[in-house]
Amino acid sequence: MAVDGFFITGVVICLVSALICIVAAIIRQPPNDITILAVAAVELFLLVYGVAAVFRQLGGEPVAGEAWEFWGYWITALLVPVAAFWWSMLERSRWSNLVLGAVGLTIAVMLVRMEQIWDMAGTAL
Amino acid sequence: MKAKSGTMSSTSPAGRESEQEQAGGAVRAEQRASGPGRLIIAVYGIFAVSATARAAYQIATKFSAAPAAYLLSAFAAAVYILAAVALAKKGLRWFWTSVAAISVELLGVLAVGLLSVFDAALLPDDTVWSGFGKGYGYVPLLLPLLGLWWLWRHRPGRPGMR
Repeated sequence: MAVDGFFITGVVICLVSALICIVAAIIRQPPNDITILAVAAVELFLLVYGVAAVFRQLGGEPVAGEAWEFWGYWITALLVPVAAFWWSMLERSRWSNLVLGAVGLTIAVMLVRMEQIWDMAGTAL
Repeated sequence: MKAKSGTMSSTSPAGRESEQEQAGGAVRAEQRASGPGRLIIAVYGIFAVSATARAAYQIATKFSAAPAAYLLSAFAAAVYILAAVALAKKGLRWFWTSVAAISVELLGVLAVGLLSVFDAALLPDDTVWSGFGKGYGYVPLLLPLLGLWWLWRHRPGRPGMR
C-alpha cells in the first residue's frame, strides 16, 4: 500500500484530535474551544484532502478503485464532525467530549478505507 | 418533562439544579439520552450510518453474489437505526423499543457470530456481525451489552431512585 503524505497527515490529525477530546473528558471538561477546534481541524483536513483529491485525479493520478465509492466516503466523512458537533452542543457535559473524540477515531478508520479504495491495496472490507 | 436538563457544568446554578432534578425517579428514567448515554447514542449513530452505507453498496453492486448476507446487512442497518432513534427519544414506549432493538442486535451478533464460525459457507460474504463483529473491532458485540446495561440502570420506576 503506497502510503502517501496526505494519508499520514490525516491520520495523525485525527488521532491527535481524538486524544485531545478524550483527555478533556477525563479531566471533566465540557466541550470548549480546544476540543471544538480539534474537531474543526479534522473537518478542515477533509476539505483540503477532497480538493487535493480532485487535482490528483485531474493530474493523472486516478482512483484505482471505484471513484464514486471514494467520494461517497468523503461526503459521509464531511458530515461526521458536523453531526458530532451538533450532538455535543445539545448537552455540554464531559461526555460530549467523548462524542467529539469519536470523530477522530471514526474519520481515521474512514481514511484508511479511502486510501485502500484509492490504491486498491486491500479489498478485504 | 425538561428537555435538556443534563449536566451542563457542575459549578453553575443551572448545573446544580439539574442534579437535584436527576434525584427524582421519574426524571432519572428520562436521562437515557444524557451523560454517557449521549456517547452510546453517538456510537449507535455511527454504526447506523456505516451499516446502511455498506448494505446499500452490497445490494446495489453485487446482490446476486450472496443475497442472504446482504439482506442480513440491511436488517442489521435497520436495527442500528431503530436503536439509535429509540435511545434518543423520551417515554416508556421508546424505552421498550430500544430494549427490543438492542436485544435483537445482541441476538443477531451472537447468532451470526456463531454461524460464521460453524457454517461459514452459509454467509459467504462479511456482514457487520460476522465473527462477532471482528471487522469492526468487536464493537458490535460490546455495544449491545453496554446498551442493555445502560437501559437497565435507567429503567422506568427504578426502585431507590426516588
